[in-house]
Amino acid sequence: MKKNILIIIIIFVLAACGSETENADGQVDNEDVTSSYPEKNIDGIIMWGEGGATDIIGRTLAPIVEDEIGSSLVMQNKAGAAGAIATQYVYDQSADGYTLLFGAENPNLYQVLDISERSYQEDFVPVSIIANSFAGIIVKEDSPYENLEELVDAAKENPNELIFGTTGEGGLPSVVLAMLQNELKSEFRTVPYEGEGPVSTALLGGEVDVTSVTVSAAQEYVESGDFRMLAVVNDEPIDSLPDVPAITDAYPEIGKYLPWGPFQAVFAHKDTPTGVLEKLTEAFETAIETDEFKETLANLGMEYMNISGQEAIDFVDQNRSTSAWMLYEAGETEKSPEEFNIPKVEEE
Amino acid sequence: MEILQDFLVPFLNFRLLFLVAAGTFAGIIIGAIPGLSVTMGVALLLSLTYSWELYDALALMLGVYFGGVFGGSRAAILINMPGSPSSVATTFDGYPMSQKGEAKLALTLTTIFSFIGGIIGVIVLAVAAPLVSQIAINFAQRDYLLLAMLGLLLVGSLSKGANAKGIFAAGAGIIVGLVGMDSIGGGSRFTFGSLQLMNGVNFVVAILGLFGMAEILYQMKNVASKGKVSILKKTAFPTIAFLLKFLPLSLRVSIMGVLIGALPGAGGEIAALLGYDHAKQTAKKPNRPFGEGAHEGVIAPEAANNSAIGGALIPLLTLGIPGDAVTAIFIGALFIHGLQPGPLLMEQSGDLFWMIVGSATLANIFLLIFGLLVVSIFIRIVTVPKQILLPVIAVITVIGSYALNNSVTDVYWMLGFGIVGFFMKVHKFPVAPLVLGIILGPLVDTSFRRAYMGSEGMGDFLIGFVNSPITLILTIVFFFTIFSQTNIFTKLKNKLKKV
Repeated sequence: MKKNILIIIIIFVLAACGSETENADGQVDNEDVTSSYPEKNIDGIIMWGEGGATDIIGRTLAPIVEDEIGSSLVMQNKAGAAGAIATQYVYDQSADGYTLLFGAENPNLYQVLDISERSYQEDFVPVSIIANSFAGIIVKEDSPYENLEELVDAAKENPNELIFGTTGEGGLPSVVLAMLQNELKSEFRTVPYEGEGPVSTALLGGEVDVTSVTVSAAQEYVESGDFRMLAVVNDEPIDSLPDVPAITDAYPEIGKYLPWGPFQAVFAHKDTPTGVLEKLTEAFETAIETDEFKETLANLGMEYMNISGQEAIDFVDQNRSTSAWMLYEAGETEKSPEEFNIPKVEEE
Repeated sequence: MEILQDFLVPFLNFRLLFLVAAGTFAGIIIGAIPGLSVTMGVALLLSLTYSWELYDALALMLGVYFGGVFGGSRAAILINMPGSPSSVATTFDGYPMSQKGEAKLALTLTTIFSFIGGIIGVIVLAVAAPLVSQIAINFAQRDYLLLAMLGLLLVGSLSKGANAKGIFAAGAGIIVGLVGMDSIGGGSRFTFGSLQLMNGVNFVVAILGLFGMAEILYQMKNVASKGKVSILKKTAFPTIAFLLKFLPLSLRVSIMGVLIGALPGAGGEIAALLGYDHAKQTAKKPNRPFGEGAHEGVIAPEAANNSAIGGALIPLLTLGIPGDAVTAIFIGALFIHGLQPGPLLMEQSGDLFWMIVGSATLANIFLLIFGLLVVSIFIRIVTVPKQILLPVIAVITVIGSYALNNSVTDVYWMLGFGIVGFFMKVHKFPVAPLVLGIILGPLVDTSFRRAYMGSEGMGDFLIGFVNSPITLILTIVFFFTIFSQTNIFTKLKNKLKKV
């Protein structure tokens, strides 16, 4: 008897799977798809591990979006290869709006760093850019350098003396370092660490002289007096640290690369039906606007963005152009951005 | 006075008391099941407790953390499969004890000394957190290099006489550990252009395969022969005098455990391995040779890995830096509940610090109670027929390896390691050095390269090994450990004895 039940269950499960694939392949006409969307759970794939900023943002947002869209949003972490595994996974699913990618800026460099073929521009479409943040250049509190000019001058006078801690090729610090080296002709020795946490630890322990992390990651240490932030990589000081000068105060030539910095966003497959995408964007927009979610952003030290459509596409493109060309000119990339038609940042 | 009040919060609040107890119990179960790791359990709770009060969530997560690390030893002793990475070292003598009918004694001893280790960890956390965190952040790349190399010297201890085979296995492990994206140069190693391989090999998957699946395959060879179900000697509860004998050892390895646990780049699994080695080096008269069921061999790693928890909480609470994978998830939990883990956390939310110390103390007490109470339940696992036990564990290892990162690739790796491990067992290759290589290989690689990149040329690099106190001590320990295994040392020692 028990066996029979099991067989029946298996048949049902198989049948269910079967009909799902038919739907996905059959590309029924768009209006039908849109009006019935969502008729099952939506998968949210997070490209970083549990407890990270992307994870926290995704998981706080999910229940609010669920209320808006009327279907469950099932969040899963698929960390690895700087997010490339999750990116590939979402790309491989059907373009029906049932699998979303929760990610950061990393895929913008997959092609030039030869990590993966995927890119936000060619394979995905932004549902919403949730929030962004800025990079800050930090030294330890007992460092002799009181401002960015002193640091840059010291690095020019004694090339390869000062140690700049990075988080590996293509990470945020490596792009900031490239800015300092390409544009300001200063030279640092680099030592890469596993991430922002380890590189901050190395700065605390005096293993590196200077590094650059997101403002949110450094803020606590700046307030406690352990770190001094010499500049924030933006064209004006930011609200959370109004006393820290913008990098353009000392070096206006950096200005053309800005705004630039890490961001958190939700993407869907490129071929997602327009109607479905609109529904998703609307739901996320409303959810991001809630006070509850804004509080999470404030805790994380991220700036509220909530942009979508062409505005979002332009933002992601600008970020890619800056990072890719910066690293290329510093000789850090495997391939030229030209190969992938990445436009160069233009002089203003 | 206020401190005492905050400390006692979890003791006096019935809900928190219950949550710590429930967490510890669940942790013991999760930890005991090979394939369900502590990290996974705590990560799951993180998403479950999103809307909870902060204290409630922390109480539950801390319970699971302590319970889980402890629970790993149950499976290690009873079925030779470490339930969590930090109990790999417990299999070396735990399983032999179990085979000799002393499973009950092994379970009891590990419970008591896990408790002692855990409490020492919490005491250090409570009284010396700022000091230890200073040591931890000043632990330079050279020091990690020396620590990892000291760890690699363990190959000798773990090879059970088959030194050449052990070194071969460790070398293979190091290569496996290097697969994936190189975190320093950014290049790909042994990935053959595959995105799945870029992620590298998670050592938990290797442990599941080499200790779990391989053990299943190996035991299946004899499963048809009805086999004798393991015997169980009747053992009385150990006397106080018997336990006191191990107190000095457990204190030493616990202090080691706290310090290693506090290092952001090393955790409970390394603490347990080094604790085991320390016991082996220092135990004057073990009841049996190590590897055949020495009591010290189960006590040391268990005291070390549980004290490492208190250590791992130190950089988390004083600096906002995670000491291991589990505390990284705690950081997420603090963020979600509106706190900013960082150097100001203790100043701004001192009550939280003492509440955590209180919950951790409580979790250790429950660990002792549950640990001792359920010995008789766990022990029945030994008497479950292999035909039933093995398939169940096989399924769990598959689920466990998938759940690590929701990736089927990890399942393939696990099965691959299972097959490799099977043949290693058949041909008498020790599998522990392979795991050691996978865990420590990448640490040697990255710390060596960072240390070298940070210094000006070879001379500066070498001088670095003697010009800071921590590094100097580690350098001396490293060379002494090698020297102590040579003939010259043995001769010297004999001469000194005669004098």
